[in-house]
Amino acid sequence: MRLILRRPEPAADVWRYPGEAGSGPQVLTLAELTAGAAAAGALGVLIGPTDDVRLLAPYLGRLTLVVVQFEKLGDGRGYSQAQVLRQQVGYRGELRASGALKRDHMYLLARCGFDAFELDPSEDGQGAWAQLERFSVAYQASSGTLVHPHLKGAALGS
Amino acid sequence: MYAYDQFDRTFLAERVAEFREQTRRFLAGELSEDEFRPLRLRNGLYIQTHAPMLRVAIPYGLLATRQLRMLAHIARRFDRGYGHFSTRQNIQYNWPKLAEVPDILEALASVEMHAIQTSGNCIRNVTADHLAGVAADELEDPRPWCELIRQWSTLHPEFYYLPRKFKIAVTGASTDRAASEVHDVGVHLVRGPAGEVGFEILAGGGLGRMPVIGKRIRAWLPKPELLGYLEAILRVYNRHGRRDNIHKARIKVLVKALGVEEFTRQVEAEYAASAAWAPRLEEAQIARMQACFAPPAYLSLPDLAAPLGVSAALLAWYRHNSRAHKIAGYRVVFVSLKKHGEAPGDMSAEQMDALAELADRYSFGQVRVTHDQNLVLADVAQHDLAALHAALEPLGLATPNIGTLTDMICCPGLDFCSLANAGSIDIAKQIHERFNDFDYLYDLGEIQVKMSGCMNACGHHHVGHIGILGVDKHGEEWYQITLGGSASGRVALGEVIGPSVPKLQVAATLARILAVYVERREDAAESFLETVRRIGVGPFKERVYATDTEAA
Repeated sequence: MRLILRRPEPAADVWRYPGEAGSGPQVLTLAELTAGAAAAGALGVLIGPTDDVRLLAPYLGRLTLVVVQFEKLGDGRGYSQAQVLRQQVGYRGELRASGALKRDHMYLLARCGFDAFELDPSEDGQGAWAQLERFSVAYQASSGTLVHPHLKGAALGS
Repeated sequence: MYAYDQFDRTFLAERVAEFREQTRRFLAGELSEDEFRPLRLRNGLYIQTHAPMLRVAIPYGLLATRQLRMLAHIARRFDRGYGHFSTRQNIQYNWPKLAEVPDILEALASVEMHAIQTSGNCIRNVTADHLAGVAADELEDPRPWCELIRQWSTLHPEFYYLPRKFKIAVTGASTDRAASEVHDVGVHLVRGPAGEVGFEILAGGGLGRMPVIGKRIRAWLPKPELLGYLEAILRVYNRHGRRDNIHKARIKVLVKALGVEEFTRQVEAEYAASAAWAPRLEEAQIARMQACFAPPAYLSLPDLAAPLGVSAALLAWYRHNSRAHKIAGYRVVFVSLKKHGEAPGDMSAEQMDALAELADRYSFGQVRVTHDQNLVLADVAQHDLAALHAALEPLGLATPNIGTLTDMICCPGLDFCSLANAGSIDIAKQIHERFNDFDYLYDLGEIQVKMSGCMNACGHHHVGHIGILGVDKHGEEWYQITLGGSASGRVALGEVIGPSVPKLQVAATLARILAVYVERREDAAESFLETVRRIGVGPFKERVYATDTEAA
């Protein structure tokens, strides 16, 4: 069972990822979604590192889950995908970071707008959550909802 | 200079605490090597040939004397009594212990310094003209912009895991002393169409395996938009830069693959799309930052024709190691870290402490690091020059060779670096020994020798008037020579003259090259670079590879 770190507390995932059997709602790939494979009701989509998240704009009304995949340690494309989704596309639903991720990545992920985390299975969820409190200040504006750092207004517009 | 406030201090303390915890987890086996690597790299820590190497950021090369004293303290307490200034205006310690690095970072934080993002695939330490604020050819001081970029780029949430490292240089003068055209992004302060000052933006420059001169992607950008525009560049790069091949991951490869027009179009489109979120600087913020870099309290002094005192040593030092200052009565003094026989860029803790004392007495308590691995006391009253020279000389910091052949750039090479193919420091010593006649060096005039121990080009060999690149040939150290490179003015990449030469022949090869220059220059006023440009590399090549060895 997949454990997802999110507020108010970690919970087992109800969604089925592409290729998974079971009874929960199906997460589609971006290609499936844009090809018209969506059934009625809530939509979930899995975003790969090269996917253009701007293509999600037409589905905004029904989209309730976006899973951004981090296939390799150090691949930072998902951070930009999240910023674009939150800032330009205007997505407000669950934005989940999934893959080669440790607790050390959570703070910056949250600042890019991720609000749910599926970390490397070796991570202890409770210890990891405290990472979001790691920094009380930041030099940049954030599109995150989990962290509200006090910004350095003297230096940067916010 | 910029002084930290409570905000900056809080941030830095939290950052040190984070790395202390990460180091503890690594040593306890809770983080694997692969997991720890990107974390330690973003705190300046490499694992090198002999030991970890810690690269400490010196933002845009500016140091207060209390910071220089702390660098000396760290060298003594945690290292082997010295540090190495690099071509990125940073300082590197070659012998720290991993378990002690959090303590070093805490000590640095106490003087508003850090090692954040001095390595790893992220935005690196921003560099600038080492004559910022004192050069007569300057339109505007680049340092306030550098500090704004430093803050904005520090733990930027979106650009912390880029395809590859990302270097930004800022200049505000007509002469580029920061090699900005061979950076991932070069930012130039220029006048716009209506006469107001803004930025020209270059992208896609770089050295390494594929040297490229940066392309202009924006002729003029209004000041408040600088950070927002940089974000657009970085977002395009973060999304589309190659991640499948480390050697093709720099932004220069993306710019080349797309073509500069298409790359520019994508950046502009991204900038337009992100307009509502892009950071925009307010006039008051800019003014506050500029006030941090206000000129020191210069005295009203007359210009003196020459230093008071007439020793030949003093005059040579004055002529070669000092430069004009835009304020009457002052000179810019270069502190040479190229003493013959020493590793270029190295400085002992005792020298650092002593120089801090001299900077307090003679140069408003500040020292600068140049990208060619010397230090600068930027604001010395002309009537103090003789006393300063007398104090620098016994410290070994007054070698009158700035701008000459022996003022060479040199990476740490095989002696310390795990990437290197060949030694650099030995070659520097060989050149120092062979060319120890200062009258000959002065007759040769300005020659920039730049040397790298491998293709990564930390020593900027492509843009040396004479470039030396260490290569590995079946386990032996050989050296490829290029001629005609230049990092400023008409920026150019050097041309390879032919097959590489064996280690013991490097200085002799240089001697042949220099002999051709002396024979072929039109007159004493024609510099080495000008001669190479006029006659091409052919005549040099002929002499170097002539079978008659008498010429050597």
